[in-house]
Amino acid sequence: MAFLRLVNLTVEFPMYQGSSRSLKKLLVATTTQGNIARDATDRINVRALNDVTIDIEDGDRVGLVGANGAGKTTLLRVLGGIYLPSRGRVYSSGKISAVLDVSLGLNPDATGRENIILRGMYMNIHPREMRERVDEIAEFTELGPYLDMPARTYSAGMMVRLGFAVSTCIPPEILLMDEWLSAGDARFLDKAQKRMEQFVGSSSILVLASHSPTLLSKWCNRGILLQQGRIVQQGDIKDVIATYTEGLPRSSDKPSDKSSEPPSQL
Amino acid sequence: MNEDWPAPESRSAAARADLVEGVSKFWMWSAMAMQDIRMRYRGSLLGPFWLTISMVIMIAAMGLIYARMFNMELEHYLPFLTIGLVIWGFVSTVITEGCQTFLSAQNVITQVRMPFSVHAWRTVYRNMIVMAHNVVTIPLVMIIFSVPVGWQAIIILPALVLLAINGLWVSILLGMISARYRDVPPIVASFVGVIFFVTPIFWPPEAVGAWMDVLPFNPLFAAVDVVRAPLLGKAPMAYSWPVLLAVTVVGCLGTFALFTKFRARIAYWI
Repeated sequence: MAFLRLVNLTVEFPMYQGSSRSLKKLLVATTTQGNIARDATDRINVRALNDVTIDIEDGDRVGLVGANGAGKTTLLRVLGGIYLPSRGRVYSSGKISAVLDVSLGLNPDATGRENIILRGMYMNIHPREMRERVDEIAEFTELGPYLDMPARTYSAGMMVRLGFAVSTCIPPEILLMDEWLSAGDARFLDKAQKRMEQFVGSSSILVLASHSPTLLSKWCNRGILLQQGRIVQQGDIKDVIATYTEGLPRSSDKPSDKSSEPPSQL
Repeated sequence: MNEDWPAPESRSAAARADLVEGVSKFWMWSAMAMQDIRMRYRGSLLGPFWLTISMVIMIAAMGLIYARMFNMELEHYLPFLTIGLVIWGFVSTVITEGCQTFLSAQNVITQVRMPFSVHAWRTVYRNMIVMAHNVVTIPLVMIIFSVPVGWQAIIILPALVLLAINGLWVSILLGMISARYRDVPPIVASFVGVIFFVTPIFWPPEAVGAWMDVLPFNPLFAAVDVVRAPLLGKAPMAYSWPVLLAVTVVGCLGTFALFTKFRARIAYWI
């Protein structure tokens, strides 16, 4: 039984810019009671996610939709346990596999085969286990002789093939994917979708962030529309895509939400 | 920021779990460290043995000049210098590269969840591999000058383990501070450069006369001394082991406290 549950989740990013990144400025500020370098402690908190509550159950294939900077990647990172939320709770059950960037762990000078092992390592799969799966992964990528060439010679789409094949070589219970998938060609996407359907049956979860309406409507059954860190709409993927493509109603919020709370942590 | 969640006790448990799980991921960080070395020396004929060669050149050049300056016999000075430089090479690069522990792992940390201590072990292990290449110069010099090595030299094994443990907390501590304050790595690098000259690595401790009383306050001297003295058939300074042990305990406890408090923030900082 896999599930993901977010309750009143808020994520705030401290924006350290310029001098607040400097230890020297901080020390000067402390010793002079902040007269000289007062801006060293000035901190702007950007609220990347604002009071988000989501229930994702077994078999849900959720598409995250929203403009650039709406909070899609941040949400995926919270679901993947990378960011600890500022407020709110995350409950989850099931082994999570997060594939947020296709280039994770890839060494451009190593061959495709070597990179399969390397990337597996970053996904917490022992090289010994990975070596047994190399052939199956290699076959799925259809990269043929390219697998023995350095990854630096690969096109974006070829990288996607490799990244996707490795990420799904062990059926994950919860798969989180960012937009990179759209770089694959139509034929590969069909093949990838079939592979997904094999394990996203009734016992797994997929959360996919994308801007491609075709990809989303093919792969997902539920949609979540984010705008400036808030959920604007949840429901059937078709309805959500429709709202998104028609254009969102203008929000009265300012683009970056300055937190008025005093900084309580570094 | 809400400080109530996660609760303080669960933070401490999370930090402990991170460290324990980090150790069990030996296969992961050892492979990553090997990969780092391979990347660094790809395409070069001798690979990491370039380090050994540059070390040999440095030892030869410094040895000839400073043996004369300090009025020492080459057969005494060169083994002293060689061991000192090899250990210093490990200690100083763990400190300077320790600053990059989390910064250089940025794309991993923001994409997959894994124990943060894995990155620190990677830094320590990578430098142990480098040291293993440089160590070759020690038996070379010892054989040339026929320095006898007795069984008491076995004490360097626990000493090296202690150095590795110190490398771990230094990497975590400096890695965290450098992730938050970006001017720390260059500050640390210039400090390490200065410390090389004020630590008895290429000069014998006796050379400073009455100033020898200050040497116990330099833990990096203790780190070098506990390995060098036994290999040269001498006893380390009386204070070297106590100083090193004290630094290990204080460093581990202090770093654990900070790691507990700020572990969850590292992903936001980088």
